[in-house]
Amino acid sequence: MRSDYKIAIRAVTRRFGALAALERIDIAIAPGEFVCIVGPSGCGKTTLLRILAGLETPSTGEVAIVQQDPARPLNTMIFQESSIFPWMTVRQNVGYGLRLRGIGAAERARRIAPLLDLTGLARFADAFPYQLSGGMKQRVSVARAFANDPELLLMDEPFAALDEQNKALLQEELLRLWSAERKTVVFITHSIDEALVLGDRVLVMTARPGRIKADIPVPFARPRSVVELKQHPDYVRLNHEIWKLLRDEVRPAA
Amino acid sequence: MSDRPPDIVLIRPAPAETALHLSPALLAVASPLLLLLGWEAVVRLAWLDARFFPAPSDVLVALWQMLLTGMLLQHTFWTLQRVLIGFVLGAVPGLLLGLVMGLSPWVRAFLKPAIAAIYPIPKVALLPLIMMIFGLGEPSKWIIVAIAVFFQLLLSTIAGVLGIERIYLDVARNLHATRLQAYASVALPGALPSIFAGCQLGLGMALIVVVIAENFGTDAGLGYLVWRSWQVFEVTDMYVGLMMIALLGYLFQLAMGRLERRLLRWRPAATAMKGTP
Ligand SMILES: Nc1ncnc2c1ncn2[C@@H]1O[C@H](COP(=O)(O)OP(=O)(O)OP(=O)(O)O)[C@@H](O)[C@H]1O
Ligand SMILES: [Mg+2]
Repeated sequence: MRSDYKIAIRAVTRRFGALAALERIDIAIAPGEFVCIVGPSGCGKTTLLRILAGLETPSTGEVAIVQQDPARPLNTMIFQESSIFPWMTVRQNVGYGLRLRGIGAAERARRIAPLLDLTGLARFADAFPYQLSGGMKQRVSVARAFANDPELLLMDEPFAALDEQNKALLQEELLRLWSAERKTVVFITHSIDEALVLGDRVLVMTARPGRIKADIPVPFARPRSVVELKQHPDYVRLNHEIWKLLRDEVRPAA
Repeated sequence: MSDRPPDIVLIRPAPAETALHLSPALLAVASPLLLLLGWEAVVRLAWLDARFFPAPSDVLVALWQMLLTGMLLQHTFWTLQRVLIGFVLGAVPGLLLGLVMGLSPWVRAFLKPAIAAIYPIPKVALLPLIMMIFGLGEPSKWIIVAIAVFFQLLLSTIAGVLGIERIYLDVARNLHATRLQAYASVALPGALPSIFAGCQLGLGMALIVVVIAENFGTDAGLGYLVWRSWQVFEVTDMYVGLMMIALLGYLFQLAMGRLERRLLRWRPAATAMKGTP
């Protein structure tokens, strides 16, 4: 059965004790859509993503997610903070999801190799995390999520700790994966540029308690060329529009 | 303006590591050696009563003789066997239950009060009860060691699992690890440093307990050697027993250290705080 949505978030609120983190969130995300979320720090973005990942439950409301292929993992989250296991080598970390699903060593190695190359970690495949730089660790967690090949990628500022070159490389690969395999992506970022380069839509959240303040379609054709995109008059206009929306949230008491 | 010249902070390479490289091994031998030398000197100077504190050289002579008759190895073998059997009997369930209690708040809430109540009882105080139930033979000795080791491993493992950062369990959960997979891939390796600490304490406890237990129902073991020497006032033999117990403790420590370095390769090597000797 086909449905018109991949994710439906209906009237979701989330509180932690007396603290209201999310307030009545309604979002529908279509299959194969790439949605970026921006919002001030502490507005509940991570909380929302954790609810989608099944790591947290809403206080009220509900979330429905459509699973196309029960044989594949439904979602994989890339966490904002360092989340790779210190006791596993890079190779073991990247292959972790596959190993949990009982995929044998040979097949694992075959699937991991290109990702290690892509993330520039091939030479460090047998290193332990304490031997890596901060950016390298983040690339390991990106590789681990890509290797797991889920229908839905939940990414919490995955490239924030990366240098510009690696960031551009992984953004490109993410877009390639996304368009080749029709994944659905929910992508949190602090960078308006990143949201506009990657997303079909940008959701802007209010300060806590987080609500959806604006839902902005990104009209640019794909494949996008970053350099040309940034000179497009619409790009400049959108960028400024989102920037103003966020600025009003960061200084709400004005 | 002050005419004082400005202070300059210089940051330079750390002092050469070569000197430090040798010293831990050297220091490790140095302290027991110094102790023995000091002891020898004090006895020779007759500051200590040689009837109670025989000189280490005399003890070593007695040790050598007992080694030649094969008696010493026999005693050592029996103690070693009891410690190792008891250790395995206690450590395995302690570790498994510790993992379960660490990961499951329900099991933890349920069992914690009972454990908190039993733990402070000195384990040797249970010895009479155990001997009443299991008799004077070997099983009693294994069991008393096992009990002591069990609690040590249980508490260390629980603490280890609770110390694992939540995010690692979140990753396992997000990737749909089964319960068993989460134990094997997150709880056990994450708690391993603490488990090792527990093993070291446990082995020490095991030696203490076994030596006391060897006072009863046996005529072999280092503990027996010590107790019997006390009864017949063979002070030098007593020291032989004590020295062998100390040696065993030292060797356990050494072996655990080896194993730890192998299994915990994922931890950065430097354990000392930078800049401190
Ligand atoms: N487990 C928790 N217990 C209590 N409060 C929490 C918990 N998790 C999050 N919060 C609170 O909920 C609010 C939203 O947190 P969240 O991590 O979702 O913010 P965020 O939008 O991801 O912020 P950032 O951009 O800085 O990562 C914060 O005020 C935070 O203190
Ligand atoms: Mg966050």
